[in-house]
Amino acid sequence: MGQPDREHRRPRGRLRLTLLAVLILASAGRAQDLAEFEARVTEFTLDNGLKFIVLERHEAPVVTCYTHADVGAANEVTGLTGLAHLFEHMAFKGTQRIGTRDYEAEAQVMAKIDAIFTEMKAERRKGDQANPQRLAELHQQFQEAQQETQAFLVHDEFEEVLKQAGGTGLNAGTSSDYTVYFVNLPSNKLELWMLMESDRFLNPVLREFYKEKNVVIEERRMRTESQPVGKLLEEFLAAAYKAHPYGVPVVGHMSDLEALERAEAEAFFRTHYVPSNLTMAVVGDVDPARVKALAQAYFGRIPARPDPDPVETVEPPQQGERRVIVEDPAQPFVLIGYHKPSINHPDNAVFDAITDIVGMGRTSRLYKSLVKEKRIAMYASGFQGMPGSKYPGLFLFYAVPARGHSNQECEAAIYAEIGRLKNELVSAEDLKKARTRARASVIRQLDSNSGLAGQLTAFEVMTGDWRNLFKQIDQINEVTAEDIQRVARQYFTTRNRTVGIIETTTGENES
Amino acid sequence: MKSRHGHWAAWILTITGAACFMGLAPAAALTLDHEKLTYPPLHDIVVPEVQRVTLPNGMRLFLLEDHELPLIYVSARIRVGSIYEPADKVGLADITGEVMRTGGTASKTGDELDEELERLAASVETSIGLSSGSASVSVLKEDIDRGLAILADVLMHPAFRPDKIELAKMQHRSSIARRNDQPDSIAAREFRQLIYGPESPYARHTEYATIDNITRDDLVAFHKRFYAPNNTMLAVWGDFDAEQMVERIEKAFADWQKIDLDLSATPAVDYAWGSSVNLVSKPDINQSNIYLGHIGGVMSDPDYFALTVMNQILGGGFTGRLFKNVRSRQGLAYSVFGRYASGYDHPGQFYVGCQTKSASTVHAIRAMIDEIEKITAEEVTDEELELAKTSYLNAFVFNFDSKGEIIRRLMTFEYYGYPPDFLQQTKDRVEQVTKADVLRVARAHLKPDTLKILVVGNPADFDEPLSTLGQVNAIDIAIPTPGK
Repeated sequence: MGQPDREHRRPRGRLRLTLLAVLILASAGRAQDLAEFEARVTEFTLDNGLKFIVLERHEAPVVTCYTHADVGAANEVTGLTGLAHLFEHMAFKGTQRIGTRDYEAEAQVMAKIDAIFTEMKAERRKGDQANPQRLAELHQQFQEAQQETQAFLVHDEFEEVLKQAGGTGLNAGTSSDYTVYFVNLPSNKLELWMLMESDRFLNPVLREFYKEKNVVIEERRMRTESQPVGKLLEEFLAAAYKAHPYGVPVVGHMSDLEALERAEAEAFFRTHYVPSNLTMAVVGDVDPARVKALAQAYFGRIPARPDPDPVETVEPPQQGERRVIVEDPAQPFVLIGYHKPSINHPDNAVFDAITDIVGMGRTSRLYKSLVKEKRIAMYASGFQGMPGSKYPGLFLFYAVPARGHSNQECEAAIYAEIGRLKNELVSAEDLKKARTRARASVIRQLDSNSGLAGQLTAFEVMTGDWRNLFKQIDQINEVTAEDIQRVARQYFTTRNRTVGIIETTTGENES
Repeated sequence: MKSRHGHWAAWILTITGAACFMGLAPAAALTLDHEKLTYPPLHDIVVPEVQRVTLPNGMRLFLLEDHELPLIYVSARIRVGSIYEPADKVGLADITGEVMRTGGTASKTGDELDEELERLAASVETSIGLSSGSASVSVLKEDIDRGLAILADVLMHPAFRPDKIELAKMQHRSSIARRNDQPDSIAAREFRQLIYGPESPYARHTEYATIDNITRDDLVAFHKRFYAPNNTMLAVWGDFDAEQMVERIEKAFADWQKIDLDLSATPAVDYAWGSSVNLVSKPDINQSNIYLGHIGGVMSDPDYFALTVMNQILGGGFTGRLFKNVRSRQGLAYSVFGRYASGYDHPGQFYVGCQTKSASTVHAIRAMIDEIEKITAEEVTDEELELAKTSYLNAFVFNFDSKGEIIRRLMTFEYYGYPPDFLQQTKDRVEQVTKADVLRVARAHLKPDTLKILVVGNPADFDEPLSTLGQVNAIDIAIPTPGK
């Protein structure tokens, strides 16, 4: 949902003992440590298909409650882009019980608002032939109808109830792959979350839809249209994907956002927010038996519905390099992406190792070459998983050129490092460091109830088993120097490449 | 030992709590009205006791044992800051803080430190902010001696190698070149200058010329002036025995000698009250970044507690009035924010702002001013006060869910001269705040008729000219190029 985000906290806890034993002290049997971790995890699936992962951490009387919906912008279709993210916003608008004084009466006015909006759209579509007087009338009616609903509304009640109970970090997020909703609560308020969360996925009411759309449109202006790198990323992904929906911006195209109707968002919800598409994590000071009993009572209310259709589109191989340019007064920036397989491909671990070697920390190759030695960039790195991991994504290299240095210099220096990956085997020392750093980076993500909840659900949904969170470390440990060379040669080819740059227009911002 | 006792107490509470829950577990009844839910009592929060030691060389230690994990963390505060750097060398403090670590020590280069620390899966970092310097260590417990040795070496004997000074200067110059690329950072920066004045240590920023002026000798002198044991606090938490840890630290810093400190007072803020309307014209964007406000306060003000409640009601997250009225009800902005900020040692800013499409710029400004006027004109409602207070009190537990947070907070309070129980005092005082208090402090501290307004945006597309709000002062953000 976004914005207020100043309450992020990073509780530490006992979990790290286990993880560190697994990850850093390494020599002990990994299977045994995973077993100890497993002993504190309880999993169950309700009759309607909704899955729960419960992890006990009793260090502090707090809990993170986390919903992972297996639906993201990649599930949208042409003309309806931005819908996954818009629904995420709408999920905070309440239910038939929360956020309203009289749902029945409110529903009638909402239907009226919808009808006026549809008519306005039809009139506007006439372009030059549109009747300005009719448009003005409709606009007036639209405002009046929206005003009429105010009498029924209890504004922002969903947020208020959780906040009053001591909730912190309440928020949500949408990516191409998934949509997540989360809150931290004092652990005695677990039942409140059960009620609120189950209610919004049972009976969400998309009230004040057209106002929230304007909020999202402002979000698009802020993140994409007023941010040079945001602009570049949108153009870059559109160039890298011509078929798969990974090429479509999560926030949606402006004209789609303007045209979206409430019924379309409701249809999207009914199709994709089926219980079998939802995975919840509850991490903290809770008793799993109690969690299960409450989950059955509250989430068991949601009727089972059929699974949505999967995304069938596959991105065809590129026929040659693609380049996009954004002309902007901003300073230069260069992005280089190569198509790679999804998270479930055996080469994924090799890309993790490459991420460590080229992109992590002061000793990484790109930082060393472009920043420390050549001093042509203020920062340079590389990583995988953009724009997602569920479907074949991109391995991305990027550089922020130093003052007085160009995209071209940085691009050439990045290709030189890619050439090294292809032509020289990485040293045993490099590989060992990559393993240590990969482990440490996993640990850092697990350093809190909320981090854990996010990781457990993401791995469960995208790879079929949360245990892969641990197994990925085994996989990185098995990566050889030869694997890295093979993967670099196979994927980092000119033909498989998309390059995006910001080309600075003169005048505006000095050089 | 006290902290160990605390650890066991927490463990026992957890066990009994869990057992109690088990008894309740089967067959949960469904309650569909959230107001009818009843909650079990929250498990007790055991706040561990932090041990305090002052070493003979004057270094003040804070220690907290935590035996859950085989890890040790160190966090240091040094009384230093960019407030102490000369106006023609802005950037000196930041570069000193960075190159202390990247430039290595007498015995090791920074690159050698990078390699060694990464092999140990450890980190040692340093930095200098506005009014405080920091240093941190994170290591596995068996590497603590090495971690402390590197920390001590970096704090006591930084070599300030020229190549890393040049690297830091290059990065500063690149940041200067990029500082007008993002409208939100332009707005925050220029508003700070409107509030504190462009020359103020709280608002000034680097220029090519100030970076060019900085020499290695400046770094050496700046370090020498501030980095001393009697100017340093060190917090340590993790898997160790406190008594032994004190010995280890004493050994690591044995050669560090006290110095006579020459610390001038924190710079004063001389706020010039008055309204103004200010515009940064940026024709390439379609959204306005708006800030309005005036000077804020300090946490030592007795009104701080009521202002904390007022902030919740005005701009608190998803439930504050600004969010409700500017975002939810009017759909004018995605990002809307505002608070009367109180600093530890100098006045913060009172600011309200949002990002809205060019065509609703003046409308949004009026909507935000309305909210400031309203909170100074009439009492907040019972419901608003209740929400602000109970949410604060119910979320209080999150202040104690991390050992690092507990010990660092204590060190911060001491650093800025606040009592160790300041957080508890805040809680007690927040509980007593009334509607009349909120109105009183809002009237005393917020001046809706004396606001400085700043817009970064494209005036050609505004709904009304900014001049309807007052005479417009155009701010030139062109970046001065250095004489070559």
